Amino acid sequence: MAAPLLVVSNLCTYLDNGSEVVKAVDGVSFTINKGETFCLVGESGSGKSITALSVIRLLPYGIATHPNGQILFNNEDLLQIGDEELRSIRGSQIAMIFQEPMTSLNPVFTVGDQIMEALQLHNPEMTVEEAHERAVQALDQVQIPNSRERMHDFPHQLSGGQRQRVMIAMALACEPDLLIADEPTTALDVTVQAEILRLMRHLQVTTGMSMLFITHDFGVVAQMAHQVGVMQQGKLVEVGVVEQVLNRPQHAYTHQLLEAVPENLARHKNPELAKPLAEQQLIAEPLLQLRHVNVWFPIKKGVFRQVADHNKAVDDVSLDIAKGQIVALVGESGCGKTTLGRAVLQLEKPTSGSIKLQGSELVGLSAREMRPWRAKMQMVFQDPQSSLNPRLLIETTLTEPMQVHGIGSHQEERLEIAAKTLERMQLKREHLWRYPHEFSGGQRQRIGLARALVLNPEFIVCDEITSALDVSVQAEILKLLLELRAERDLTLLFITHNIGVVEYLSDQTVVMYKGRIVELGATAAVCGSPQQEYTKKLLAAVPRLALSS
Amino acid sequence: MTKQIVSQEALSHRLLRKTLHGSGVKFALFWIGSLIICAVFAPFLANSMPLVMSKAGSISFPVLTYLTTEDLAVLAAFFTILLLWLAPLKFSFKVNLALFVAVIAAVVVLASLFLKPPKLVIYDDFRTPSYTEVDWRIMPPIPYAPQDYLRSYGGTGLEAPLSAEAANQERLHLMGTEENGADVLSRMIHASRIALSIGLVATSISMVLGIIIGGLMGYFSGIVDMLGMRLVEIFEAIPTLFLLLTFVAFFGSSLYMMMVIIGVTSWSGYARYIRAEFLKLRRQDYVQAAVASGLPLHSILFRHMLPNGVAPLLVAASFGVASAILAEATLSFLGLGLVDDPSWGQMLNQSVTSASFNWWMAVFPGGAIFLTVFAYTLIGEAFRDAIDPNLSREAGVQ
Repeated sequence: MAAPLLVVSNLCTYLDNGSEVVKAVDGVSFTINKGETFCLVGESGSGKSITALSVIRLLPYGIATHPNGQILFNNEDLLQIGDEELRSIRGSQIAMIFQEPMTSLNPVFTVGDQIMEALQLHNPEMTVEEAHERAVQALDQVQIPNSRERMHDFPHQLSGGQRQRVMIAMALACEPDLLIADEPTTALDVTVQAEILRLMRHLQVTTGMSMLFITHDFGVVAQMAHQVGVMQQGKLVEVGVVEQVLNRPQHAYTHQLLEAVPENLARHKNPELAKPLAEQQLIAEPLLQLRHVNVWFPIKKGVFRQVADHNKAVDDVSLDIAKGQIVALVGESGCGKTTLGRAVLQLEKPTSGSIKLQGSELVGLSAREMRPWRAKMQMVFQDPQSSLNPRLLIETTLTEPMQVHGIGSHQEERLEIAAKTLERMQLKREHLWRYPHEFSGGQRQRIGLARALVLNPEFIVCDEITSALDVSVQAEILKLLLELRAERDLTLLFITHNIGVVEYLSDQTVVMYKGRIVELGATAAVCGSPQQEYTKKLLAAVPRLALSS
Repeated sequence: MTKQIVSQEALSHRLLRKTLHGSGVKFALFWIGSLIICAVFAPFLANSMPLVMSKAGSISFPVLTYLTTEDLAVLAAFFTILLLWLAPLKFSFKVNLALFVAVIAAVVVLASLFLKPPKLVIYDDFRTPSYTEVDWRIMPPIPYAPQDYLRSYGGTGLEAPLSAEAANQERLHLMGTEENGADVLSRMIHASRIALSIGLVATSISMVLGIIIGGLMGYFSGIVDMLGMRLVEIFEAIPTLFLLLTFVAFFGSSLYMMMVIIGVTSWSGYARYIRAEFLKLRRQDYVQAAVASGLPLHSILFRHMLPNGVAPLLVAASFGVASAILAEATLSFLGLGLVDDPSWGQMLNQSVTSASFNWWMAVFPGGAIFLTVFAYTLIGEAFRDAIDPNLSREAGVQ
């Protein structure tokens, strides 16, 4: 067993927001050994990021206090030392990488400058030439091709994955003993995530550093961690070796979290709720028929803004969706899946092609002609923060569309329908008289679902509706969707990037890449034995929770 | 249960109630309210003729014979609004508006047909025995008309407040007299009409234009936005003041013309604000959800987008009212305002142009302009807070 590098004992972090003190971290103790990875998992608000920020002492003075606890790093208590010593430890011995690669690099300096600055700050005797060489090495280390030329690139010239590599290169340039990674792959696509995780594992083996890795994804935990700690409301409820915690969770909360992971949900899925269709039926009576749909955005250039090229967000897509099916649309960010969903609802005008709902052409209809069809097709959005009008009561949000479409003869009747729908969404009748900001993210998504359902639609596009939610909330919403489908014979186009969700929820799967459909078919077939190279790559990249139980 | 009661009241009522919460806005409303009372009842508050008098057994109402069509229209508007508001009958907004317009139109038509106020009023006549030697009479609280230059007292000229009384004369001028000898308080009361109406009407015209044009620009973007922005730029290039001067030179000065010109030339600022807000809002999921629900365009624009984008507009509008008042004052200052009707700006101008500094000519109209602008700003801010449920919940208002 390696010697301990970081010993956190009974750490408390209280945040004072002026009117009340929040116990963000409450008596957390754990040990990270040299060369090991410690994963902190938990849902949003559980205090995992605050714990990491406490370790590197990045929390603002005056707001954050540590009434208790010890953070021993190489036998030195980080909570006791002064600013000057702290600065010499930060960066050179403890480095940190953040979640959002778009904002964590300074956009006005080149990548090389930023790495060299960090190097020279911690090694004042280093010359510019040495620092340059070391920075090129660091970029090589994180496997950025043509590292010497890349040194002169600005952050906006790099992709998200490359930026995260640069962040890692910056963190590693000074050869720290401890790397704190706060959800470093959450904002990235699965294929990029897989590469970054592989890189980090590789770097850990070669440099022998320790890692404090924060994530909410148990798949990532299974791949990365030696030790894992599960956090709930500021407390560390369970700590242990990764195989043990994932396979034989001791604490009820850990158990509950693991149960909510989509891979595990699929195992307990009620077979009555699944509804695979026969191939013939699928073609015989499609509810929705897409033929050669293109959504191209012009790229304008030059003085006269003439159209130089097109950004083909959706390129020649043909698809049939049969009634009562849940069709999952998967792909990486920017592959056009959201645009396709919006084009189906005519929120984005297709450049060409045909979209037929129940045999009627929708492309080219005016807003007025479109209106009767609007009630049949609804959409639920990704971001719970912006999907409800903050100035309107839930009651208005729910009843206004009903009024427009003539559902319910008077307001009382509409209110009754709205209340019933909310109750079906496991919300309360009184919630009609509240404003959106009084609800949590999961509740808002339920309200968004209720808004779609009050119109009694045939077809709903769900655009990443669970991706902003915690796993346990996601599990509840997915269950609800399956039940609703069975009750109302709904047809869903479920846009997601989460393969686990696809396997749990959908009957059919459509894989998109660069605006085109690369593979489609029954979910079991597509996920079980993918035919196309891209699908294979995508599925291989998904971090799996390989469970024995 | 309280929540439900609260929430079932109409949106407009809830906004009104929330807006009225707070002491600053109560003061502002008190000030604007007293201005409205002054403006509506100006002929009965400050006039040279008796309200009622009884002479040789017959009772007459001299003040009524001198009422103009405008006086009647303002009175009719005030009482129509009061009746529609207080009456137990509840109509929809459209019906209310239609009733209001119908009543005003009827009053204006009837008054212009039947009212024949004398063109020239010699105010000194009211101090002759035919009006003073009566059985009894009731005079207005301020017994001087704004254009009553007190010639029967021998051209008093500038007099400080209460100085006439101090000199044991029978006259009482609470705010003194101006250079022609007219009572300042009386002129202040009559000037409140111009201040209120030009501020409200000009700003309403420009806000309606700005919201519609800016809203369409922001919502549709693309070619509509491009054409709209060119229109905005054209209107921003027009200097309001010189346009007003030109119109005054051609058509003579008229209050209504000034209102329309100020309104039609100053909508571009509001349009820019609304356009920027709408460009930001149209990509919001809840607006997309409203489109996907098939809601009509006016509901998307005015119910789902406008309340979320109106906050900067309200602040701008409160300054718009102020700048409209100031534009009128500027014209009056240049001698191109209304010739005989008093206005606060014109009175300020008098205090500047007279040889000696007369504090009462500067303090009272200047203070009135300041308080009015201040009150509009307070109301604008209170309304902005009321429209935002996050803020009002924090302030403890349901």
